[in-house]
Amino acid sequence: MQTEEQKSKTAPGREPQTKYLREQQKKQRQQQRFIKKETQTAARYLGRLEQLSGAPAAMQPFVEVLRRIYVEMQGVETDRPTIGTYCVMVPQELIYAAGAQPVKLCSGNYTAFSIGDDLTPRDACPLVKAVAGFQHTGLMPVYRDCSMMVVPITCDCKKKIAGMLRDSVELITLHVPASREDADMEAYLRQLYELMERLEAATGSPISSGSLAEGFQMVGRAQAEFSEFIRLRKSSPALLRGTHSMAMMNASAYMSADRWADAMHGVNLELKERIRTGEKISSRSLPRILLTGSPIVFPNIKIPLLIEEMGGLVSADETCMGERGMWDPAVITDHSFNGMLRALANRALRPCPCPTFADNTQRIYRLKQMIRDNEIQGVIYHVLRGCLVYDFEYRQIEEELGKLEIPVIRLESDYNEEDVEQLRIRIEAFIELIKLRQEPVRRTGIRESF
Amino acid sequence: MRSRKKLVITVLACLGIACPAYFAGNLLFFGFPEEGTDYPGTLLPFLIILAASAAGIILCVFLRRRISGTERIQARASRTGRSGAKDLIPKQKPSVFMILRWGLMIVFSFFMIAGGLLFGLRISSLSIPVLSCPWNREQMAEASCYYLSHLNELFELPLTDILLFFASTLGFTIVLGRIMCGFLCPMGLIQDLMDKLRQKLCMNGFTMNEKRYQAVKPVKWCLLFLFFGLWFAGGNFCNFCPAITVSPILAGMSTSLYVSGFLMILVLIGSFFKRRMWCLVCPLGYLVGLLHKISLFRIRKDCTACTECGACYEACPMGIKLIYTERENTDVTDVNCIMCGECIRKCPEDNALSMTFAGKQIYTASRAQVMSSYQRNLRKEER
Repeated sequence: MQTEEQKSKTAPGREPQTKYLREQQKKQRQQQRFIKKETQTAARYLGRLEQLSGAPAAMQPFVEVLRRIYVEMQGVETDRPTIGTYCVMVPQELIYAAGAQPVKLCSGNYTAFSIGDDLTPRDACPLVKAVAGFQHTGLMPVYRDCSMMVVPITCDCKKKIAGMLRDSVELITLHVPASREDADMEAYLRQLYELMERLEAATGSPISSGSLAEGFQMVGRAQAEFSEFIRLRKSSPALLRGTHSMAMMNASAYMSADRWADAMHGVNLELKERIRTGEKISSRSLPRILLTGSPIVFPNIKIPLLIEEMGGLVSADETCMGERGMWDPAVITDHSFNGMLRALANRALRPCPCPTFADNTQRIYRLKQMIRDNEIQGVIYHVLRGCLVYDFEYRQIEEELGKLEIPVIRLESDYNEEDVEQLRIRIEAFIELIKLRQEPVRRTGIRESF
Repeated sequence: MRSRKKLVITVLACLGIACPAYFAGNLLFFGFPEEGTDYPGTLLPFLIILAASAAGIILCVFLRRRISGTERIQARASRTGRSGAKDLIPKQKPSVFMILRWGLMIVFSFFMIAGGLLFGLRISSLSIPVLSCPWNREQMAEASCYYLSHLNELFELPLTDILLFFASTLGFTIVLGRIMCGFLCPMGLIQDLMDKLRQKLCMNGFTMNEKRYQAVKPVKWCLLFLFFGLWFAGGNFCNFCPAITVSPILAGMSTSLYVSGFLMILVLIGSFFKRRMWCLVCPLGYLVGLLHKISLFRIRKDCTACTECGACYEACPMGIKLIYTERENTDVTDVNCIMCGECIRKCPEDNALSMTFAGKQIYTASRAQVMSSYQRNLRKEER
């Protein structure tokens, strides 16, 4: 045996093998470079996040989760099998009911983006490129550990990435209709039944009305805490910064609803304490800005960071990895099993202001409501390069908000740091514009006579 | 072609209702002897109806499991549930409004049925437009339905009685409107109880959608036509009306039942699977609803606060879609609205929906109310 092995090593076959080894080494070096770059970027943004003033101490569990996933590159902390999901249309309740842990896989990673750039067409959106990059390298435990992925078809990029992911992982697509009529909702309900059977097959534990009710309780409690959080976030002067809030929302993608709710409870307590002691994040009144548009996923939080570093305040956000993902509760109107699933299908489609729907005027109403509730002074509309559906809606929203005399700017960005300076200039100018419109604060009394 | 097919089916269905309604007097469900029976004996037809409905419900469930594939999944899902599953299903904390609604419904039904018998309370000069059968001579106040379906007898009354009838009926319609359907009607109470029973059993209902609600509409118009017109053709709507099976029998009157008995079985089975199924076609309720534009109870909507989540539409037993699609008018009161307040109870947006009486808010939607289903769980963990 030994001699044969030695033979094969010294035999003419040696040439290709060293080539193979060399390629292996090259690949390894690439992977190490990837890991190094990825962890560095994530750590840098986490650092900037923590440096930003006004972070509540109770935010630490969320930061720890983001650090665990992106810097330490570990999987989600759970003993359940994980199910990867994209978009907000996948009912988390159903996944918890199947005894699994949902993980949101929409990605904001710059390093993965640069790899995915070669795998996808030039005009594909960076979010999908980053997902493709992660799947290609196979280094990210969050992606690697998934027993199954659920991809709602919300845009062309998602549709094609589903086709690409299918090669390496078990996957189910959910067809998202273009409108929200009764028939569309019922079709989605049928798909949820299909999803339910696939989930059962993937995890091996059956879904029953009891386990589904448990799922509802888990997600419901998180939503109850979140509702309280949003109520506190609306207060003026602001109690916390939007970037921190968005980071907390981002962390929900990699935490079980229970743990997230517990951590959120801590934040709520701290915010209430801040109200009691009169602690504010700034003594000046910061320009209150609403951030909306394409998803903002950690570590691509450069825009909210820039806004707040430039002296603005992201006092609300209408993005799918932010407030939108948690805000709408599934309201059970019928206690049967079918009734509960109907509640899920209903919640997934009807209140969702995702631009995938042909008629999405409800998003404008939602924005108007947020502007009213949060005393918004300006809207920043974020568009990821290649994200057509969001770009389409900009015009209409600009027009509608123009009627309310709310200034709006459109910021296009990509998953890299090349555009940061340009973004900084535009954001700074926008914030100055809002400040000019603000009533000047008189520091001295009005002089009434000479 | 398709619309023609629909038309034919609708006409046939209406004829299918009209024929038994016309010949109702010949189709006996349960006959009492001429001299009448004593109290427990009078309950017999009511018990027969209950038993037949229970059998019907069991048969429906059995057939559904045989036929439908998703039904099998659902059946399996509800079977494999643990014993405590029903307690886990999120339930909202009861609101004052809902306690009031149920309380009023029960108390009023009780008084309408047995008020005269037990307390001697009789205000027969007042006519309330609710389906509490006036064949029950012992009830507290008169129901308008008898004279509305027997217009000839109305005009044989003395003038003051006619005026009183119109004044009280119109007065109630304007001041209360269809809130009578949601808060007072004994037929409504029975249907709500059937629905509560299904919810307690966690059984699947019959889900409605826009198409099905549209399909039911002709039946409603047909019944309205029969309600007014049957007397002119020589029939009697009371022999057909399902409400007759409740009030007089429970008050101890030996009332022989005709088609009503069969119809009541259908209504009970129907309302078990679909909440307030009879209200969808009730001619009297529709009549009251026609004056919804001037009635004092109103449903109001803050169109900006609404997220179009459709929870109200899902909760609405009458299938009023307008309530979630409306984006301009703040007034979303509809002909079909029975003011049961379910939409407001299930609305997760603060102030998005509210009920007003003469401009004053009496019940408002709030997120805290919806989230109260999970608050209980929260407190349990804190303990």
